[in-house]
Amino acid sequence: MIRYEFLMQIRKRSLWISTAVLAVALVLLQGDRGPRHVPVDTPARIVMTNWAVLFGLLLPLGFGMVLADRLVRDRRLGVGRILDSLPAGPQAMVLGKYVGSVGATATAGLAAMLAAAGAEFVTRRDVALFGWALVAFALVMLPGLLFVGAFAVVTPLLITAPLFRILFVGYWFWGNMLNPIYLPSLTGTLLTPIGDYAASWLLGETALYAGADGFLPWLRPDPGATATAASIGLLLLLALIVVLLAGPPLYRRQQQAA
Amino acid sequence: MTASPRPNGPASPRRRVNAALWRHEIGRVGWVGWSAPFAAVVVAVAFATLANASGTPRPYVAGVLLTGLEAFVPLAVGLVAVTAIARDVGRELHLALPRSYLATLGRRVAVVAGSGAVASITFWVALLGTGWWSGPGPATATLVWLAPTLALAGLALLVATLGRSVVIATTTVAALWVGQQIYAASMAASAWGRPFLLFLTSRVGTPDGWLTNRIVLSLAGLAMVAATAGLIHRRLLDEEER
Repeated sequence: MIRYEFLMQIRKRSLWISTAVLAVALVLLQGDRGPRHVPVDTPARIVMTNWAVLFGLLLPLGFGMVLADRLVRDRRLGVGRILDSLPAGPQAMVLGKYVGSVGATATAGLAAMLAAAGAEFVTRRDVALFGWALVAFALVMLPGLLFVGAFAVVTPLLITAPLFRILFVGYWFWGNMLNPIYLPSLTGTLLTPIGDYAASWLLGETALYAGADGFLPWLRPDPGATATAASIGLLLLLALIVVLLAGPPLYRRQQQAA
Repeated sequence: MTASPRPNGPASPRRRVNAALWRHEIGRVGWVGWSAPFAAVVVAVAFATLANASGTPRPYVAGVLLTGLEAFVPLAVGLVAVTAIARDVGRELHLALPRSYLATLGRRVAVVAGSGAVASITFWVALLGTGWWSGPGPATATLVWLAPTLALAGLALLVATLGRSVVIATTTVAALWVGQQIYAASMAASAWGRPFLLFLTSRVGTPDGWLTNRIVLSLAGLAMVAATAGLIHRRLLDEEER
């Protein structure tokens, strides 16, 4: 199941086109504070974390869009009954689709990071760039993708894929980039899937809004190793709850309604 | 002697067919299609209520409500419009009928657009009546939501047609929406960016060039809708997303 989902998703043309378009747009529009303008003698850790922060602004939007139809498309395509006959329960189906499709989607994110490391290597000549690309991807981008992926795969079973996509876009800006000074927002909390805490820890300074004063102050500790671990742990815990506890009953409901 | 239809008599067969077609398309677009713009309004009101309750100054709260009209409703219309023209299991059958398939797609988009217009006008009247309206006067208030709605819906339809993919179209609209929110201040400050800023009213107000911005966005949206109408017969969206 995981293998088939992975292969189906990784062969999806729209995954690669949307990732490439967003990555190129971010490279072109990054401005003076973007990673392209970091001085040549800057450590590889800082350079690649800056790339992870830049890609983290918009790439997850494409990932959420591409994952939103994974569980609802089987009924639309008329293969739901065949899948129902497999010796796998709703929990295995949801978990298999989640791991396979999110794994393939993460591959596109990792490819973007490695491409950035390759481009930086041309001018900086530092092999460590590739190692830090993997670390920055694993700590900054991947936990957020696992969190977003869980909601993107499961939530459309409840509210349909189009409505999920609309709410997801609004949530992404409100919960990750809207300055918490202006409005109550999850921006800057441990529950920020943009990877603000991990990036702030790797950079040694606040990347975006991590720990900024605002709504739910107990979820806004100062950035650091412990806060980073707590942020990643919370995101993964919520993703598991959605996939393992909310996903199977919703999938079963869809089976019964068909 | 032929009897002409009476004013209060039964509707003509043509009118009955048209009414049935519209009823069918409203049903086909589904509850998500026509309710999404209203859901966007509800989200804006919920955010504003939360902000008001947490002591956010009144101008910011009014700004959130204005954002609901200028940003949330157009986003909902744009993303749902893509779904309205994609996925049609009866497409091949329809192409064999004497009725134009383009007209059918137009009706589906019109249902979504009409729902967006009703939600926007209702919301605007409510804001005006409750004293929370912070946009321009009644003569140009319509342009606050109409211009970004046309631009985002036109872009969504054109990209969906060119890319033959719901994912690419929705990602493009989403990225443009979030990207413009991030770079709104820079765009408003630059001479080339200001005419294309979707959220000029809610992020800056009604500065010099506001009307130009609204006209540019509206015309760009209409041009993209026209381009979609010209291209869609050659590039119908697939049933399965690729």
